[in-house]
Amino acid sequence: MADKRTSLLLPKKQGLTRRGALKGLGAAAGIMAAPGFVRYAQTQSSEPIRIGFQAHRTGIGAAYGRWYERVTMAATQAINDAGGINGRPLEIVTEDDGTDPKRGAEVVEKFANQHKTDVVFGTLFSHVVVGSAPAAGELKIPYYVVSEGYHVASGSLNRYVFQPGITDVKAQVRAVGPWIADNLGKKITLVFPDYAFGHDHRDKFPERYEAAGGQVVGLVPIPPTETSFTRYFPQIPSETEVIYHVMVGPGVLTFVKELGEFYGSSGPKLFGFLDSLEAVDIASPGLEFLEGSHFWEAMPRYLQPDASDAAKAYRAAVGIDDNGASVNDPKDVSTASHMFGCWETLHIIKQAMEAAGYQGPADRAKLVEATEALTSFAAGAAHPQGDKVFNAKIHQSFGHQHVSQVVDGKLNVVHTTSIEDGMYEAEADYTTMPL
Amino acid sequence: MQHFVKLRLRAVSLFLQVQRGAPIPARIFITALVAGVGLLAASPAAFAHTADRGFVMLLPTGYYLFGGAAAVALSFAVLVVMPPVALAVLFATRLRLVARPIDGRLFTSTISFLVVASIWYAGLFGSRDPLSNPLPLVFWTVFWVGFTLVVGLRGNLWRWLEPWYGPSRLILKAIGRADAPPPLKLPERMGHAGALVLLLGFGWFELVYPSPDDPALLAKVLIAYWLFNLAGILAFGHEAWTARIELFSVLYSMIGRLAPFQREADSDGRQALFLRFPGGALEKAPPLPRGATLFLLLALATVSFDGLMRTFFWLSLVGVNPLEFPGRSAVVFANTVGLAGIFSALSALFVFAVWLGNRIAGSTASLATSCGLLVWSILPIALAYHFSHYLGVLVINGQYALAAISDPLSNGWNIFGTAGFHVAAAATAGYDAAWIIWNLQSAAIIGGHLIAVMIAHALAFRIYGSARQAALSQIPLAILMVGYTVFGLWLLSSPTGG
Repeated sequence: MADKRTSLLLPKKQGLTRRGALKGLGAAAGIMAAPGFVRYAQTQSSEPIRIGFQAHRTGIGAAYGRWYERVTMAATQAINDAGGINGRPLEIVTEDDGTDPKRGAEVVEKFANQHKTDVVFGTLFSHVVVGSAPAAGELKIPYYVVSEGYHVASGSLNRYVFQPGITDVKAQVRAVGPWIADNLGKKITLVFPDYAFGHDHRDKFPERYEAAGGQVVGLVPIPPTETSFTRYFPQIPSETEVIYHVMVGPGVLTFVKELGEFYGSSGPKLFGFLDSLEAVDIASPGLEFLEGSHFWEAMPRYLQPDASDAAKAYRAAVGIDDNGASVNDPKDVSTASHMFGCWETLHIIKQAMEAAGYQGPADRAKLVEATEALTSFAAGAAHPQGDKVFNAKIHQSFGHQHVSQVVDGKLNVVHTTSIEDGMYEAEADYTTMPL
Repeated sequence: MQHFVKLRLRAVSLFLQVQRGAPIPARIFITALVAGVGLLAASPAAFAHTADRGFVMLLPTGYYLFGGAAAVALSFAVLVVMPPVALAVLFATRLRLVARPIDGRLFTSTISFLVVASIWYAGLFGSRDPLSNPLPLVFWTVFWVGFTLVVGLRGNLWRWLEPWYGPSRLILKAIGRADAPPPLKLPERMGHAGALVLLLGFGWFELVYPSPDDPALLAKVLIAYWLFNLAGILAFGHEAWTARIELFSVLYSMIGRLAPFQREADSDGRQALFLRFPGGALEKAPPLPRGATLFLLLALATVSFDGLMRTFFWLSLVGVNPLEFPGRSAVVFANTVGLAGIFSALSALFVFAVWLGNRIAGSTASLATSCGLLVWSILPIALAYHFSHYLGVLVINGQYALAAISDPLSNGWNIFGTAGFHVAAAATAGYDAAWIIWNLQSAAIIGGHLIAVMIAHALAFRIYGSARQAALSQIPLAILMVGYTVFGLWLLSSPTGG
């Protein structure tokens, strides 16, 4: 039945979707129903591992949630094709949290009590993570998030919350500082939205940049409600050599356009965080001014000439083309700098479950300890973004970051940071908390 | 253009002022809540999506706001100088298409019920993912967004497809009461209050309730709604109940009158299908009673608020950082007040405009009758805005629906061969798509208001009898419509964060 679907409607490639993952499941169910099947003996070894996928299917996170879902299904398929976890297939149980923290907590509870999933996984938006984490702690269900927020590493959550598949924003921001000082300029002005997200960049960027000889010469906070930016540009000191921008929201395009109109062909160099333009085509009208500027990327959106085989295999599995857009739709630009985290996190769950000899919900505490026993992840099929160091105390991974330059409307990686560039001392220790 | 830049700046400064001053309880509450979350989230990864609205913001939308206002104002001016008979001729013009089809409502309604019931089943027992389960997609996208537009185009097909007629007839036949009058009679005094309350509840559930897309929850709500109406129909009779209580029957019987395709009697008294100018059939529409007038105004208020509640303007007003939307559950109170507020404001403005028109024209016509007739002119605006506002949802979620109906229980079925359909989720993304969508939206909004002005004018002539009085009476309403055109286009072009 699955084969028929490829006929008319899927011109190129099936793409690994929910359905692909379900197909794997069907095969598992088939084994269980086979004649002569001794249910008791097999129960523990062939029932699926149930992963509760806390997904942003509706609400403001929906555009990101779509790619998180695609990558999650692709990773599930890959893991199932390779024999599952301890020989048991993965089953994804999706619940929509509406990108809402209150619903997030309800979803965690539903996974633990109603769906009886083994773990909860996949949350992106920070406020949903922060809203859901207490429920995971109380219900003692491991909660693997993919949000890149600093909240896990800060120690403000609990022992059941992990972020092993993606580097947090504090490390990302620190990692690029020295390269900017050495290559773009020693005098920088930070333009940021004036609330917590922007404040993180304002507060966490300077340390490593200044240690490398740079100096922050200007801070230009922009009110989050602002939709026109030209009147803020005179606040950028004339001595500025680099403008660091982290604007987000629907005003980003207007921001770039007005910045271009303000500076024309001259002006400081630009360094931005791709968070501003995830899922947006860099070659869009209005973004011409970004040509030649630099961006942080966690994982290259565009296929790089030196891409590893693992990165290529990952791109094929999740269905993105050389430009980082869906193979089925070149306009559907992926959230490449974040979604790899879903792939890697599922593989880490597999690794930890296998190390723990995980059998079922009764072993959740063992799973937490087994995850905390992990120290590093080698680059490869399970970790296409690159190798990582895992700090068990703060439940946070640290990986390489990329600096990419916009050339002909595409992002070319010009520098890859070392893992150490972003690392910082643990400021908490979850492992001392009771299980 | 400059004027509209100023207008925009004024709107921005207005909400900044509101932000600074005038403490509203809801605002304080929400601010506290957001601040609390913000404190906890020491380092939130904020991904307020750049999204499609960002591209719209690059377009010269100010020209459209101005052009739309000018077009609607100009159309009013043209109508003032045009002899009323011209409009009457236009509205009376109809083209006979086919003779009346056979009345098979018992059959179509029963089939419809069976389809609906199977989708409820999928909602209850299928995937928990609202983009894989067919129920939320079929109900919100195919039915509420799509079918409403179909009714506006083709007439009240709901009469044929509503899932109560068939089952209620079968039940009555089974208990031997098929020809008996209904045991109870709806009190006349109730008017359309029942439908009004149901529409308010529906609007609240759609726009304010935190999880209207939850498949199982939606299934339970819809089953309860179906049972409630079935009981009402059995007790009070199908005709009375669907004319005054069941909200979709009431709504679609109104929207259906706007359709260019109308089933009506020809000059020999035989039923046939006619093609006529959109809204032409409204010229002979009866004045709506008070409750139904409010019902129609609420329909427009609901879809308008759906646009408004996502704008930076509204979010700032209720103390939410538009780049860090805290989720629906944090704005339940504020948006409940907002929905009620926009309904009250729109109703008050409309009644005031009609009252003022009556005064200016020196007419003795009753305000209730004038309102009840002129409110028909709200219909094309509501439908135009429904189209514009939900166009993106229709394009994207319509594709998800196509995939979901083939595999309603997410167990690997492929009933219609569309189960693996790749959803072109970027169909509305990027500069080119934003341009096309914005122009379609603008055309619909402006077109809807033009038709509204024409309908209002024709109805005014009916009320006041003289061309001069009709023209005079329409000045306030025409100003309201020019204003609403600008408001509608502004809603579709201003930055959103919710």
